[in-house]
Amino acid sequence: VSLVLCWCPGAGQDVGRSCILVSIAGKNVMLDCGMHMGYNDDRRFPDFSYITQNGRLTDFLDCVIISHFHLDHRGALPYFSEMVGYDGPIYMTHPTKAICPILLEDYRKITVDKKGETNFFTSQMIKDCMKKVVAVHLHQTVQVDEELEIKAYYAGHVLGAAMFQIKVGCESVVYTGDYNMTPDRHLGAAWIDKCRPDLLISESTYATTIRDSKRCRERDFLKKVHETVERGGKVLIPVFALGRAQELCILLETFWERMNLKAPIYFSTGLTEKANHYYKLFITWTNQKIRKTFVQRNMFEFKHIKAFDRAFADNPGPMVVFATPGMLHAGQSLQIFRKWAGNEKNMVIMPGYCVQGTVGHKILSGQRKLEMEGRQILEVKMQVEYMSFSAHADAKGIMQLIRQAEPRNVLLVHGEAKKMEFLKQKIEQEFHVSCYMPANGETTTILTNPCIPVDISLGLLKRETAIGPLPDAKKPKLMHGTLLMKDNSFRLVSPEQALKELGLAEHQLRFTCRVHIQDPRKEHETVLRVYNHLKGILKDYSVQHLPDGSITVESILIQATAHSEDQGTKVLLVSWTYQDEELGSYLTSLLKKGLPQSTP
Amino acid sequence: YRDLHTFELQAPTRLIEWARGNRVCVAGYGQSDGNEILQLIPPPTLLTKETQGLCPERDFKVECGGFSERPVYSLKYVPDTSLLVTSGPPDSSLQVWQVSAEDSDVIKSVSTIATENGTGQSWAKIATISTRAPWVLHGSRLDRVQITEVESRKNVYTAASRGSEELSGLAFLDCNTLLLCCATGLLCLADIRQPQSLVEAMSVPSAPCSEQWCMGTRHGAQGLEPSSQPVARVSSRGLLTLTDLRKTSEFLALAKARVPSPGSGVEFLCTSWAPALEGYLAISGFDGTVHVYDTQSWDSSGREAEPIFIHEGHAFGEAGGSGDSPLVTVHTWHLQKPRTLFSAASDGSVHVWDWVQPCEKC
Repeated sequence: VSLVLCWCPGAGQDVGRSCILVSIAGKNVMLDCGMHMGYNDDRRFPDFSYITQNGRLTDFLDCVIISHFHLDHRGALPYFSEMVGYDGPIYMTHPTKAICPILLEDYRKITVDKKGETNFFTSQMIKDCMKKVVAVHLHQTVQVDEELEIKAYYAGHVLGAAMFQIKVGCESVVYTGDYNMTPDRHLGAAWIDKCRPDLLISESTYATTIRDSKRCRERDFLKKVHETVERGGKVLIPVFALGRAQELCILLETFWERMNLKAPIYFSTGLTEKANHYYKLFITWTNQKIRKTFVQRNMFEFKHIKAFDRAFADNPGPMVVFATPGMLHAGQSLQIFRKWAGNEKNMVIMPGYCVQGTVGHKILSGQRKLEMEGRQILEVKMQVEYMSFSAHADAKGIMQLIRQAEPRNVLLVHGEAKKMEFLKQKIEQEFHVSCYMPANGETTTILTNPCIPVDISLGLLKRETAIGPLPDAKKPKLMHGTLLMKDNSFRLVSPEQALKELGLAEHQLRFTCRVHIQDPRKEHETVLRVYNHLKGILKDYSVQHLPDGSITVESILIQATAHSEDQGTKVLLVSWTYQDEELGSYLTSLLKKGLPQSTP
Repeated sequence: YRDLHTFELQAPTRLIEWARGNRVCVAGYGQSDGNEILQLIPPPTLLTKETQGLCPERDFKVECGGFSERPVYSLKYVPDTSLLVTSGPPDSSLQVWQVSAEDSDVIKSVSTIATENGTGQSWAKIATISTRAPWVLHGSRLDRVQITEVESRKNVYTAASRGSEELSGLAFLDCNTLLLCCATGLLCLADIRQPQSLVEAMSVPSAPCSEQWCMGTRHGAQGLEPSSQPVARVSSRGLLTLTDLRKTSEFLALAKARVPSPGSGVEFLCTSWAPALEGYLAISGFDGTVHVYDTQSWDSSGREAEPIFIHEGHAFGEAGGSGDSPLVTVHTWHLQKPRTLFSAASDGSVHVWDWVQPCEKC
């Protein structure tokens, strides 16, 4: 019984493309369906022909699971379901289901409208794709079909991110997606119970880093914002609609309150409003602290942060503005950027990764003269800063998760194999499990030993332990019984009971073996010799000399006859039933060794 | 502070060693086996001379790691080789490791340099040099000091035995001169070309209660006459002495640091000179702080010295509520950035900090 998986991951940097295919006990599940952000052509989509050369994907795949809404985990979903063709169920958590279509549409608009791409999925495709989505709750066991079930666990990282357990019979796999083991301002830490999966698939992007503490990052961020505002400058923070934006809002709000600052903070309208709306809806997905404060005061309703109006950008004086989109490639954030770029008192803080080709990427690479539409050159004099608050598990976090789940095998994705030898050894040493690190496109087979539970009948147990030598804790004892497989259950019963249940008649098997012994004396003397010999050796057994001249050892019969041709040889007939096979064979080999010379 | 970065290791370290290519090494010293030796690449922002503030790469990267069965109390890289040497309880033998960062990220155990183990031997202090050949100077006691060639494990030199005091530190002043510091504060010089002589250098002011001492020597300043650099010694009671090795009959300077009375802190006593700031000395190991002093204002009166800066970050550890406040286990200076220090504490935290020079007026 094996577990096979193959995957087509990203190019080993910060943002790759996740798409893993797992084959478990005959079921095929696709985990995540990501888009590669670095490519502009077909390379950004995973190669689905890996899965099956011909034949429909719907027949081959039992389900698709999406761990969270980040583009590199679900960006290729509409392409996959509508353009390549898949009609089966797609599972994700409720927040992910709510947020995905918005972000997909946003991405589609940018790619098609701004960049003029043609081979891309349409709005209708997004809608059709989302119709196939089944939303799941945390810790809810979902039956995909009779044998396959899945369960979602909280993963931290972003709103709605989950780790999934996939179970078929007694074999299971846990896929982590992206997760975080330390709680942050608005999300809790990932958690899983001791589910002991056969395989744990964990991301390892940050496995070799030792993270700078959050406090220091935040301190530096606040310092920069404060300095700019103090000297009358304006701070632009382009954000993705959801994710870090909320965290930064909470951070600034707290800081403004503590330092009693007066400069206005604005939140651009549109997507970000919807985002806050979703956070409020899914308040149960945030961490304990937020939920507690929500009762007293809604953490997502800010005292110092107001809605933005386009006209405000021209207001004199300091201010901080959060605007979408995050890479400065279009929309409001780009508009504001153009207005403020020429003043060196201003600052733009990029909160995350920027795709190549966007203004965000260009200014982060150091470009200070940008060509805009209509061949206008924009000179960037404002300060450009970068800050990353990304929340992934580091080596310590990975070890923690393994400790919680207790898998039998571990598989790490998103790392470079050469550089992961140390972590592999660390995991193998500490947990005594095998650790795999497949390369791009590689298939890994993991053998599992499924346990098949069998019930043994009490009567059989009692009987088997009663005969023969006493049970010894150190020696395995061989027991005989009949295995009955009926109605999806396995039972070990005595043969008689089995016969009765099955309505069969018992057949008796008897073996007889001839052992030749050199002994010129009379038969009954030979018998006596044999009897004394066996009596001396088999002290734990019942050895009897019967009046008819035969010997019994337990229920085995030994008789002696003279050899027809040779008077000096006696033939011992050793006879036993099938049940006494062990003892019978033992006796036979014992007798074959011959009788000791000195016997009366 | 100009800059402060805090990190957390999975297990606390009591050493921070610089390696080739601006790498930094830390290692665990726990009692159970499975201590890790980690060679780290500091984030780019800490390597450049200019402070960058917000930067994409702010994290340490584990470049390679190894597993040690015994706690690692001391670690030294062997210059010009890909080897490093470690030592730790229960005895004074040394472990030799190979670092081959290009092929794999595992630091492999290569060999052991055994030493004869007398009774009551603790772990060996080590120093390395590769001027003539890769050598390691090691010993746990004054009468057990020797130099061993790392690759062949052959003994090259054995110091003439005198007392059996425990050593708290040893160093190569140059390829022929050794400096040994005993826990009692006694400093000894030895010339390896004359194996029989062990010159007793400076003693320390005697104290009513027993105290432990450790020394700090100038960190490999090239081209300068090594014996012209003063040697600093700090005691567990906070006494600081500076000695010029050319004039060992008197103290160059004597001062007292304002530190809490020694509790359990003596194990991690540490002092070191700033490589890029003349006369600046740092001490740690008394509590959760690191003190930086400007020794140029000191004289031989022995009065209390005012530190230029105190780093208190470790005392406010994030691992709150455990009762014991963390103890700084080790500190070291950045080799290029003049005011940057690395410090580690018993709760696993590692701080990298850059302090602001206070102005003269305030």
